[in-house]
Order: sequence, then structure tokens, then C-alpha cells
Amino acid sequence: MTETGRYLYAIARGLDPQALADVPALAGGRLEVVRHRGLEAVVSTVDLEEYGEEGLRRNLEDLAWLEEVARAHDTVVQAAATHAPTAPLRLATICLDDDGVRERLDSWHDALEEALDRVEGRREWSVKVFARSRPAPQPAVSQPATGGAAYLQRKKAENQAREADESSAAVIADEVHERLAARSVAGRRLAPQDPRLTGRQERMLHNGAYLVEVAEGDAFAALVGELASAHPEVTVECHGPWPPYSFATLEQQ
Amino acid sequence: MTSAVDVGASVGTTVEPAPVHGRQIALVDLLDRLLGTGVVLAGDVVISLAGVDLVQVRLHALITTIRADMVEPR
Repeated sequence: MTETGRYLYAIARGLDPQALADVPALAGGRLEVVRHRGLEAVVSTVDLEEYGEEGLRRNLEDLAWLEEVARAHDTVVQAAATHAPTAPLRLATICLDDDGVRERLDSWHDALEEALDRVEGRREWSVKVFARSRPAPQPAVSQPATGGAAYLQRKKAENQAREADESSAAVIADEVHERLAARSVAGRRLAPQDPRLTGRQERMLHNGAYLVEVAEGDAFAALVGELASAHPEVTVECHGPWPPYSFATLEQQ
Repeated sequence: MTSAVDVGASVGTTVEPAPVHGRQIALVDLLDRLLGTGVVLAGDVVISLAGVDLVQVRLHALITTIRADMVEPR
């Protein structure tokens, strides 16, 4: 007999289980709702061979597996968040059975209520700022650089120009964040992503997440556009609206 | 003016609202959130979710894959 567990996708408040009827669950399973003290945990059954501690350690190293689970998790979270205030859970949060799920809902009840109050009627927007790569310095036409002194001088000038660029780009990133944070309910600076992960050459100066009222989404996006136009020396990217992934964090207990 | 065109294209919000509102989240962004933030809830007995460990696992998995791609540029 295979052992199974309950995979938790999200916790919502006032979610009608019917709203998830057509949403696929992991591993061909079926989504269910465990209700306790006014909160609903969205769960499905998974095989502990695959999702147990050992299985996870192995599978989390497998990018194809990770992507499939992350996408499935996100699909469920997006569906729930469309219908009710929703606190997404981390990937691969698993309880042994529904009693375990209810215990979680019990012990985290107040913190969950707070998190749901915080994100209700709001969505997350991602705004990233990238440094633009500096155009190659033009060689001076009238002064062919010959000799060690001229070379060093040119190098020094190039370095100074690059440092000035980088510090002004950092100032712009700070300004963009401040302006956006002022226009949103909450703003967070996430760690800039490694160029190996973004697949881009430009350095990421800012990886911001903003919690924005649903009705304010267009105005927020318009502000991002304004800020981008005002700062052609950087590239600004805006994505959203997403479920409030970065704003449902519970305090560590 | 090329610079104006360039800026607009890089933002997307001012030029093409539609793609910006697309719900598909880039995998890196999704994992940033699903492993790095979100409700901190450890499972019963099964998993001890030390966030840092998971993030390292994630980065390791991604970087390994990307490096493998880079070895064969064509």
C-alpha cells in the first residue's frame, strides 16, 4: 500500500469549493477543501514516495519536476485568489492527513486571518530595474592614444564613467522603488536575481514586489510607464497582476 | 527618435498593455516566491522546510541546468 499525504496549495477565506471544480490538481488528483474555523485549506492527495522527505530532496533537484509542480501550484493559487482572499503556501507543504491540515489551520489561525486581511482585494505586481549596458567608449578622433600614460588616462576615464553610471543607476532604482511603494499598499525589495537565472546580461538593480488594490492596477502600471520614460538610462519591467505571493508571509513562530 | 521607441518597448506598459497583464509568471519569479516567501507552514512529520535549504536547492537545480545548456551553445 502506498502512503499518501495532503498537499496544501493555499488557505483562503470564504472560498466556494465549486469554484475549483475544473482546476487540475497535482499528479492527476482532485482538489478538495478542508474547512476549519472559517478558513479553507485547498488540498489534494499526493504519493509520499514522490512528495515525502526523501522524494522531495531528490525531486527538487530535477528542474522539470520543479517546474511542473510550481506551475500546477500556481494554477491552483491563481484560481483560488480569483474567488476569495487567498494566502498561497510555499511549494511542497504537506500534511499526513486532514487532521494535520486542521491542526495547522488551528495553530496558525490568527496569523492567517491577519495575512488574509492584508491581501484581500489586492494583487501583487513585480517591477524590475535593469542597468543598461554602456555603449563602447568612442575612441578620441583627434588624439590617437599611444604610450602608457595615454592608455592609463583613458582607462581611468572609462572606470570613472562606469562608476558614475552605476551609482546613478542605483539612485534611480531607489527612486523607482520609493515612488511605487508610495502608490501601493506595501512594497518589498526582493533579492536581485542572478544573471544566470534571468538569462540577461544587464545587471538587475531592483527586484520589487508591490501589493496594489485591484482597482488601482492600471494606475500603478501607468506610473511604472512614467518612471521608465523618465529614466531611459535603465530598463524597467513590469509584470502582474499576480496573487499576493510576497505579502502573505506569516511571522515566524 | 530611436531612444523613445526603445524605452517604450522595454516597458511594455505604455505600449502594449496586454502582455503585461499576462498571468503567466516566469519560472524564476515563481520560484522566488514559492520557495522564498509565502506562508511559512511546515508540514506535519514529513518535511522540515528550512527555507534557506530549499532556496539553495532551487538555485543549484537551475544553475546546473542553465550551465548544462551553456556547455552546448549551438
